Amino acid sequence: MVAVGQMNDAPRRRRLRISNSVTTYRVVALVLLFALWEIAGASGLFFRGVIPSTVLIAQAFVRLFGDPAFYTHFGITLFEIVVGFVIGSSLGVVVGLALGINRYTGEVFEPMLNYLASTPKVVFLPILLILFGIGVGSKISLGAISCFFPMALSVAAGVRTINPMFLRVGQSLNLSFGHRIRNIYIPALLPPIATGLRLGFGIATVGCLMSEIKLSNHGLGYAAMQAYNRFDIPTMLALLLIIFTLAGLGNYLIGRFVRLPGPTNRRTTVLPPR
Amino acid sequence: MNDTVVIDTPSTAVGLPTLRIDRVTKSFQTAKGKITAVDDVSLDIRQGEFISIIGPSGCGKSTLMNMVGGLIADFDGQILLDGKAVRGCQPSIGMVFQEESTFPWRTAIENVAFPLEAAGMARDKRVARARDLLDLVGLTGFENHYPAELSGGMRQRIAIARTLAFEPRVLLMDEPFAALDEQTRLLLGDKVVQIQQQLRQTTMLITHNISEAVQLSDRVLIMTFRPGRIKRVVDIDLPRPRSSEMMGSEKFAKYVAEVWNDLREEASKGLRESEAAAGAR
Repeated sequence: MVAVGQMNDAPRRRRLRISNSVTTYRVVALVLLFALWEIAGASGLFFRGVIPSTVLIAQAFVRLFGDPAFYTHFGITLFEIVVGFVIGSSLGVVVGLALGINRYTGEVFEPMLNYLASTPKVVFLPILLILFGIGVGSKISLGAISCFFPMALSVAAGVRTINPMFLRVGQSLNLSFGHRIRNIYIPALLPPIATGLRLGFGIATVGCLMSEIKLSNHGLGYAAMQAYNRFDIPTMLALLLIIFTLAGLGNYLIGRFVRLPGPTNRRTTVLPPR
Repeated sequence: MNDTVVIDTPSTAVGLPTLRIDRVTKSFQTAKGKITAVDDVSLDIRQGEFISIIGPSGCGKSTLMNMVGGLIADFDGQILLDGKAVRGCQPSIGMVFQEESTFPWRTAIENVAFPLEAAGMARDKRVARARDLLDLVGLTGFENHYPAELSGGMRQRIAIARTLAFEPRVLLMDEPFAALDEQTRLLLGDKVVQIQQQLRQTTMLITHNISEAVQLSDRVLIMTFRPGRIKRVVDIDLPRPRSSEMMGSEKFAKYVAEVWNDLREEASKGLRESEAAAGAR
């Protein structure tokens, strides 16, 4: 083991050096972006107030954080995203398994699912509004629908790449269906499930925010639209930044905590953290 | 299931027929017509016996194993285990496959304990038994390694230990060493001989490696190329315990030559057929 460690030392040092320079460039890029923003705002080339100074945006942040209404909006949005995400992802795993395990259902339904997956889910919003009203119901359901598709398709495709020997072992041990699902399918499918979760969280966020912006009386999307209607651009931008952070943080946390069992570096492949 | 640890299985009653394959025939319907993979095969395997089935590719030896193992339940004839008909999978017949079959998401010990876990055995009990089995296959110290961290030979030993966990009456192995290099294969063969000796495990091995068959078996069955029939049974009268060192002996060489003599004709038939098929394409 010691010898292996020594053998790996040189590449690790090189990787470290690369990651150091990457961090430097990132910081430089951010600083440049700030500078460009300020210059563009001060240049007078744009309609006044469209590109407010970062100072104004910072002030808007302070105002928001002191405002109890903001926390209500934030809480509602977070609730919608999480509930929609959990419902959509769970359904996605179940449907994905059904499509993948049974070749017949797969052949019948998967093309339909593929077509639906590529349409913008916001077209379902009018139906959802009629079904669930303009409250959290329509937001949760749109979020759930949004993240359902990538999960279902990712799991269905994953089932077909499971090593058939694993299934044969299950068969030769005469395992029950429930045992096979729990002890063979699910663990073998953890990589595509993790991918589905990471893709799904961002998409569920989009779904919830989209319906908040379209028609709603609460949530961060609604608050951002109100700020827009008041032409309070700094507050609107502050809210958008909070939304970005929320989505990014969710993705990061999922990547961090959805660890795959097995030797190290069997991590999720989509958007690795750090 | 009884509670005795697998290693303590008594080595009694050698000689009674455990597995009886009685006039078994299996044909497949293919695009080119009906192919008879296994044709009227009858065979008795005695308690504690190690038999090898050897034959050219396409002789139906894997089909035969899948029928005994229960993966193919639709065939003509009968397979009897201790007098009871076998159709479909059952825990008393354990299978080890040629391909990689250890679960990459489980450590070595979790892999071996898996069948026991599925059967609902208590945790400390199944862990203790899995530890004994890992010891039996010579993997003590690797309990908490994942398959990806082990060599192919070690992974195959995990698969063997996992199959033995259920104390199968009959152990079926379908070319378990085919994917391994020659040296590993020889050493693993020694390990299998040792395990078999210790457990008196009734074993049926499918192989296309002649010296492996001679090294391990009490009897070697040579199958014909399509349709698969038993052409000849060679009794291997070499002293036990055996090891790969024996391969240099004159008697060993004589057995290898004897098996090859019968096998060659079948193998060339298989070769001609596959070349003809390639030519037709």
